[in-house]
Amino acid sequence: MTEGSSAGGVILKIDRVSKRFPGVLANDAVSVDIEQGEIHCLLGENGAGKTTLADILYGVHHPDDGALYLKGEPLRMSSPKDAIGAGIGMVHQHFEFVPPMSVLENVIIGAHSKQWLDMGQARRRLQELFDTYDVRVDPDAEVGRLSVGEQQWIEIFKTLYFGLEILILDEPTAVLTPQGVEQLFGILRRMRENGLTVILITHKLNEVMEISDRVTVLRRGKVVDTVDTADVTRQDLARMMVGRDVVFTVENEGGTPGGLLLEVDEIHVESESGRGSLEGLSLTVREGEIVGVAGVSGNGQNALFDALVGVREPSSGEIRLGGGSIVGLSARKIASLGVASVPGDRIRQGLVMDFRVKENLILGRHRSKPYASWGLLRRRPVDGFAKQSIDEFEIMTPSAAHVTRTLSGGNLQKVIMARELSQAPKLLVVHQPTRGLDVGAAEYVRRRLIQERDKGAGVLLMSEDLDEIFNLSDRIAVIYEGRIMAETRPGDTDLEEIGLWMAGISSEPDAAGASASSGNGAAGE
Amino acid sequence: MSAPPPPKQSPLWSMLMQPGAGWRFERRLYTGPVREFAAVIIAIGISVAAAGLLVAVAGAGVLEAFRGMYEGAFGTRDSALETLVQATPLIMTGLAAAIAFRASIWNIGGEGQFYAGAAGAWWVSDLLADLRPAPLLFVFMFLGAALAGALWASIASVLKAVFKTNEILTTVMLNFVMFFVLSWLLAGPWRSPNTFYYQTERMADVTFLPRFTTDSRLHWGFAIAVLTAVLVYFILRKTPLGYEIRGLGANPVASRYKGANVGVLIITVMAISGAVAGLGGAGELLGLHHRLQLDIAVGAGFTGIIIALVARLHPLGVVVAAVAFGALINGSTAVQVVTGIPAALVQVIEGMTLVFVLLAAVAARYRIVRTSVSHG
Repeated sequence: MTEGSSAGGVILKIDRVSKRFPGVLANDAVSVDIEQGEIHCLLGENGAGKTTLADILYGVHHPDDGALYLKGEPLRMSSPKDAIGAGIGMVHQHFEFVPPMSVLENVIIGAHSKQWLDMGQARRRLQELFDTYDVRVDPDAEVGRLSVGEQQWIEIFKTLYFGLEILILDEPTAVLTPQGVEQLFGILRRMRENGLTVILITHKLNEVMEISDRVTVLRRGKVVDTVDTADVTRQDLARMMVGRDVVFTVENEGGTPGGLLLEVDEIHVESESGRGSLEGLSLTVREGEIVGVAGVSGNGQNALFDALVGVREPSSGEIRLGGGSIVGLSARKIASLGVASVPGDRIRQGLVMDFRVKENLILGRHRSKPYASWGLLRRRPVDGFAKQSIDEFEIMTPSAAHVTRTLSGGNLQKVIMARELSQAPKLLVVHQPTRGLDVGAAEYVRRRLIQERDKGAGVLLMSEDLDEIFNLSDRIAVIYEGRIMAETRPGDTDLEEIGLWMAGISSEPDAAGASASSGNGAAGE
Repeated sequence: MSAPPPPKQSPLWSMLMQPGAGWRFERRLYTGPVREFAAVIIAIGISVAAAGLLVAVAGAGVLEAFRGMYEGAFGTRDSALETLVQATPLIMTGLAAAIAFRASIWNIGGEGQFYAGAAGAWWVSDLLADLRPAPLLFVFMFLGAALAGALWASIASVLKAVFKTNEILTTVMLNFVMFFVLSWLLAGPWRSPNTFYYQTERMADVTFLPRFTTDSRLHWGFAIAVLTAVLVYFILRKTPLGYEIRGLGANPVASRYKGANVGVLIITVMAISGAVAGLGGAGELLGLHHRLQLDIAVGAGFTGIIIALVARLHPLGVVVAAVAFGALINGSTAVQVVTGIPAALVQVIEGMTLVFVLLAAVAARYRIVRTSVSHG
């Protein structure tokens, strides 16, 4: 691209960058050299500081110390606008497009603020880009109607259209099916061929191994090392990331399912947005069994969770727990029947962030026996339970009286787990229990789920992490558009088959990834 | 271990907040009580300065005015006691607002509930005029007041719980409804036959709340108000109900997921809020006015909202803020006499204080950081 930097030269130098937040040193003298034309992964557990670093590279945060150099020149940015001006783009986990507008319109938004807009020329340029990357999307299609994967491409092509040279992607695969991941990686590889530089933030080791040229591992705000991906193994990276040996798949000897515990029979649940309703979903969970519900988010997982814990009532159908119907019962009543739940949105649905940690630990049981009597909250039992939970679940908090807001993601989840598991639940409804958690915390959460199963609880595990589904489940159900698309056992299937089911394709007619039109009309044969 | 979420920035926000210079605002993860308290103190300081500026603009001596204000509010024993008299209804309406706001229920109907309470107390005193001993009569009069205030608030809360109507609109409108209901009652059924005014007969002496001293107007209503503040503080901190109220206010979604019956909770909170406002109305009726009329503590319901916000919804802070506002009301009369500045200055200062406190509360959530990249 530019004359000076031949492929392999350092395009972006991160020199001893530090960033402090109240109580945390998020980046501690981080130095990384990003070379032109490489795919460089920033790998680390949650809280390792990789998102902070990315935000610094994109001008959202400003380093307290240290400096950035772009092609040898000092780079000073006070906002993302400056980053874009310097040729650095970013694709966030949450897309930033205008759904009712067309692909073309979304791509060129902001690109033509200064000159007259020549739609014909813009269309030709976008089509050229699409052709270069072998992407088949209609420039006039409404973005809101595209599949999630295709929407992500639009975000990427926005930055390509701007002519940016460095693209940062923050956990881009979280919302994708396995096939979608393959397609994304195809685009990234072609970007590399064209001399562009990609910085990929992830905590998934498989992805690092598959796509990256080099990888920088961060731990607790510091760079552990930058290595060539070819020279390391998955185990090496994991050890660098966590600081000890880790097991990816927790030991699971399988459950010994007992009697029928939960029976969901043809339920219909409307969702407010219309997306993600349940359209006659049926499934069962036995005692001592983990049933994994795999699926791309937005296919009814939220509605299923809500119906099971009692915050949304099915418009038809039946839910039986231990033989008795729980439809129409209050959330409090259902909880008292032995249903514990770990919600997918832990901050919004699971915790009151302005409460103290000890207050969150009794949320929902603040009216029951040891914690309340004679109309008063009892300080001693509350403190006692808090201390016990903090010890047992290794919740990292300065004290039980600290405001929950200050805890990290993994510790927030531990607070919820401690609360929900304390009552020896009969049924555990779990949604995305390890999303965003670091490897260590995720391993812990998974072990606890298996423990509960082994104690005889039924576990309904809704997750988008297929490795987790395969590792933990005794039975797998795939949810697609509000129904169970297929049901199987982990031994009888593989990632590919599950991936197709997740995309709504019920048989295996062609090779994976051949067609991009996975979204619509593919449900039948 | 923990990584704070990146600050959410709207385009407008980032536009405003990047002057290109070496400084910018950054959202704090957690503000903390010390900073919040400091923010209120600073805001009050700014309000005082701004008030001084207003006085100067009005052409009066600033020091003279402040001295007059102080003398009028606390200068003598009499004026100090009168300040507490002024504060009494404000404590109650302030508490009424604070407890509802804690639950993120925006009860703007304190004024109407206050008068409902006064009317309830008067009605009971009329129905049970012969009830003795007197303490029993007081119990029933206050019960009637609390019930009337709670019922009046419940119109809005039931509508909110069942139909999700916006309580700000309904409570504001119910203030007017109460005014007209009361006007009608005082023009007709309850009107004293011996007067042309819209007011009832003077009440029997036995219904008078005792006074602390023979030479001041300070009555037991003040003690009741302070006790109520302590009680509200206790409820919020030490009871499951208070826990639920705070939980509902901070995160209604999680409260619902963890089994709170949000509808029942809304109705309960509004009933308590209305009852407290109603008790305030009864206190004024039985302590000072001794006849129901349309101008007992006009505007106390609205001033209570300001007080609750200035006190950052802390029940004991409400007492302090109410006394301060009582002093302002009381002292402004003296200021008017001394300097000729109209007592309407009070409302201006009240409004300014509210604005400054709210601004300071937001400002306390941010810190200023350097943006310039310094190498080293």
